Amino acid sequence: MTFRVLAMSAGLAALFMSASGGSVSAQAITIAIGSEPSTLDPQLRDDGGERQVNDNIYEALMARTPEGELIEGLAAAAPEQIDETTWQFTLREGVTFHNGAPFNADAVVASVERVIDPENNSEQMAYFGTIAGAEKVDDMTVIILTSGPDPILPSRMYWMKMIDPGYAAEGDLASAPVGTGPYMFESWDRGTELELAAYPDYWGGEPEIDEVTYRFVPEPGTRLSGLMAGEFDVITNLLPEFTSTVPKFAAVPGLETSVFVLGTDNEVTQDPKVREALNLAIDREAMVQALFMGYASIAKGTHVNPAAFGFNDDLDYYDYDPERARALIEEADAVGAPLVVVGESGRWLKDREQIEAVAAYWAETGLDVTTDIQEFSQYLDSLMGDGPRPDAIFIANSNELLDADRETSFIYHMDGAAASNSDAEMAEMIDEARVETDEDARQALYDEILKRAHDRNYTVPLFNLQDIYGMSERMEWQPRTDAKLIISEMSVSE
Amino acid sequence: MTQARPHRPLRALLAELWQDKPAALGLAVILAIVAMAILAPLVAPYDPADQSILSRLTPPVWNDRGSWEHILGTDNLGRDVFSRLIWGARTTLTIGGLTCLIAAGIGTVVGLWAGFMGGRTDSVLMRLVDIQVSFPGILLILLVVGVLGPGMWTLIIVLSVTNWMVYARLVRSVVSSTRQTPYVEAAEVIGCRPSRVIFVHILPNLVSPLLTLLILEFTNIVLAEAAVSFLGFGVQPPDTSWGLDVASGRDYLFIAWWLVTFPGLAIVATVLSINLFANWLRVTTDPEEREKRHARTVAARRRRRGTA
Amino acid sequence: MTDFILRRLFQGFLVVFGVTTVVFVITRLAGDPVSLMLPLSASDEQRAAFAAQIGLDQPIWVQFLRFAGDVALLDFGDSLWQRRPAMEVVFERLPNTALLIAAGLGTAVVLSIPLGAIAALRPGGLADRLTTSISLLGLAMPQFWLGLMAIMIFSVTLKWLPTSGIGTPAHLVLPALTLAMTPLARFTMMVRAAMIDEMNTQYVKTARAKGLGLGRILRVHTLRNIMVPFLSISGWELITTLSGYTVVVETVFGWPGLGLTAVQAIQRGDLFLVQAIVFSIALMIVCIGILMDVLSKMIDPRIELN
Repeated sequence: MTFRVLAMSAGLAALFMSASGGSVSAQAITIAIGSEPSTLDPQLRDDGGERQVNDNIYEALMARTPEGELIEGLAAAAPEQIDETTWQFTLREGVTFHNGAPFNADAVVASVERVIDPENNSEQMAYFGTIAGAEKVDDMTVIILTSGPDPILPSRMYWMKMIDPGYAAEGDLASAPVGTGPYMFESWDRGTELELAAYPDYWGGEPEIDEVTYRFVPEPGTRLSGLMAGEFDVITNLLPEFTSTVPKFAAVPGLETSVFVLGTDNEVTQDPKVREALNLAIDREAMVQALFMGYASIAKGTHVNPAAFGFNDDLDYYDYDPERARALIEEADAVGAPLVVVGESGRWLKDREQIEAVAAYWAETGLDVTTDIQEFSQYLDSLMGDGPRPDAIFIANSNELLDADRETSFIYHMDGAAASNSDAEMAEMIDEARVETDEDARQALYDEILKRAHDRNYTVPLFNLQDIYGMSERMEWQPRTDAKLIISEMSVSE
Repeated sequence: MTQARPHRPLRALLAELWQDKPAALGLAVILAIVAMAILAPLVAPYDPADQSILSRLTPPVWNDRGSWEHILGTDNLGRDVFSRLIWGARTTLTIGGLTCLIAAGIGTVVGLWAGFMGGRTDSVLMRLVDIQVSFPGILLILLVVGVLGPGMWTLIIVLSVTNWMVYARLVRSVVSSTRQTPYVEAAEVIGCRPSRVIFVHILPNLVSPLLTLLILEFTNIVLAEAAVSFLGFGVQPPDTSWGLDVASGRDYLFIAWWLVTFPGLAIVATVLSINLFANWLRVTTDPEEREKRHARTVAARRRRRGTA
Repeated sequence: MTDFILRRLFQGFLVVFGVTTVVFVITRLAGDPVSLMLPLSASDEQRAAFAAQIGLDQPIWVQFLRFAGDVALLDFGDSLWQRRPAMEVVFERLPNTALLIAAGLGTAVVLSIPLGAIAALRPGGLADRLTTSISLLGLAMPQFWLGLMAIMIFSVTLKWLPTSGIGTPAHLVLPALTLAMTPLARFTMMVRAAMIDEMNTQYVKTARAKGLGLGRILRVHTLRNIMVPFLSISGWELITTLSGYTVVVETVFGWPGLGLTAVQAIQRGDLFLVQAIVFSIALMIVCIGILMDVLSKMIDPRIELN
């Protein structure tokens, strides 16, 4: 629905422009991204740089609104679930690839089979592990098969980019991609820049900006310098401190949530009173202001993203109550007890700042807190390895699928890689929710899981971080929750 | 070269240094930095890792928003820049000193051995030196760090291993020239053990050129350490290093110029002072250069008198 | 002369062989290439398959022979990051590094001769003291710091030049000047010292006494005499620049040369690409060494090997 409105407004804008000017000069913008794509093959890597380019060249069966709502993309409507493991998609009519080839059921089948082909060893299998295959029903209808009941299949299909089977066989997908999206590949001077041009026959109407140049600038400081010097129109990952320095910026709630996972079997943190005290001891509002200049929101009782399916609207965060925290620590007879806080540095926005600030708050409760900032591989071992669980470990969790399954299996499920509890009952609920295909029943399960984890203080949720983009004066753009850089949603005012 | 330098009292040496104002200043700065590094826990007003989220990015004291609490301001974590400079001196001097000692140690042994044995051993060892010289320094560090992971000790070892050749070459050339002098030949003829010959006759001649080289190489190590730490492959947080601080201040270049400026100036001051002093030392310990300097001073004095 | 070149080439070959061995030892023996290059989540089967693919299941001497054979064919395997042959990436980035070094060292050479000469004309004079002080400062400044300051002043504040990237001649100015600073300082000091020594020699004094113009003396006698030391010091400077400074300067200015690529390859655990870059640069260094020796010998035939 929203998508159609967007497409219509884009069409109207195009109409208006051609009517008013007649000779409106070509609109060209330059975007600075952090890393160069390793390849432009849309189905092999799990690579942010590749996505930032290919999200404009390719499309998937499903799409999302800028706010994160799942809508139809190359599918004509939401998929129909035929049985527990079969989903039927009807395709949009009149869509063509940039090389003129039609988009149809054969393209979908070929795309699915190429990604899941073990020969290709695609890194994207992390998203598509449950998909067993695809079959053509007729030219414009496809069914997708899963290996077991999979309620999030529609969300998964939003990640799978559709390719032209003919071009995949003969053309050069890795360095000259051909998709159905609003932008066509123009040129790629490796190491230097990459150019896209508007696709005039795009089914949703020709986009407003005609030419896009990507430049690859790994250092955030250098990206900022380039923006200030007028070389770039959009830069990614702007630090909150610079919102008052740049000509223009836009912030949007992002996918990342920072959280501490508590070791519920450890000597000190096994006491629920201690865990509650840890949640009460943090002045989250002060941290939002001091660290993020307000560009973060406090996570409401869970690390599940508010935009994700399964988020529990009834939970709230703990208010800052240092007296109560101290009293609880005394009640638990834990004054002076050792607490080791494990974390890393430099991987996520202000990670170290958050860890150290929280450790300082915790030290005020009377616990004997030590902070252990580890080197990244060592940290990964602490987080996911088989060794003893840390008392408290920091992580900024992110979930591109926007569904509670991944977050709960990862951090709440007792067998999850980053989980530190042994709550078998909750693990059962999570397993049940994973295969429950009735939406309401599934939401009810997640509501219960999230509440249980919150009440038992298995984690200390901190903040939903915002993505901030720096922009030049002439840019008009509202960034998206899913952090995709969709150029057809941008415009330029001269 | 062969006869021992006449004993010069320290006072006379200092007086001579005083003539060369830049070199004297250099020595003063070096001594100050060394003192800072040794006394870091006493001198530094704060623990370099102590953070205060509320007072982050405070500018230096002379700025309107600055305060005497943090003379050179604070960084993005609210850590005191001045304290970090002081502790950074410690890291820099430790890495520089250890690396130079290890490299000079290896180089001296190899050089002595090659120079003394001569013949086949000499040419094999010197070929080895050639291979080492063709090894791309910082890139080799990157290769090792890629395999072993970054860290201070990785850095010290790799820097030592890539820097000993200069010493080996110097020592070898001194040894082979010393060996040809009549009194060493005589010592060998009367049957002195080679180790005795080395210790009594050759080592004393090595001290002064080795010392000069050591000091000059030290600046190279300081710069290399800073560069590698800047790239993120050297000293790792929570340890401090000037190069690392420049790297982490880089993101804040626009709103906190002091984060990049001060550690950078610390590196410049250290290297510049050492160079100034080493230059004087080189001239002073080399009789030929001393003569030239004397001639230049006299000429300049004469010229000045002439123009006046 | 031919004999000299042949001997020098043979030595170069030995050095290249040594470099190959060292790269092999560091990457295969010091660490575990499989766990370095595969993601943490890789399964045991994937690990075993990858180990077999790069020949880790073979005895060590077979591995070395295969490695040396591949190196001889300039085959370092596929870059894991870019999914294409590592050498292809090297050949693609090499011209960028070459351009940067040529511009940087070229500037240093061209500026250092007049600067050194002016300083040497009146040792202790104002020009001399100014040149010497700036040179000393130049030697003490780390390139990464100088580069950041240059970006701050010339790109952001004055907006004269782009901050980073490659493409137009304007993009080249700041990186090349940053790279030029240290060699310029060293060359200038060297030219100055050599000139002062030359001016004090008997034949220059005689020539001046005979009334020959200073310019002519400098051109005919002095400059030619300092050619050999100048050549060897530029060769050495070229080698240091290749093996270190470019990495830093390319990183600061986002210049897509070999140095920046090496840094990115390490961050991504792409050992094959790092190997290819390190080996290529070592090879270039050896070639430059030989070239410099031969050139020096051509200018001054008295020079002996070592």
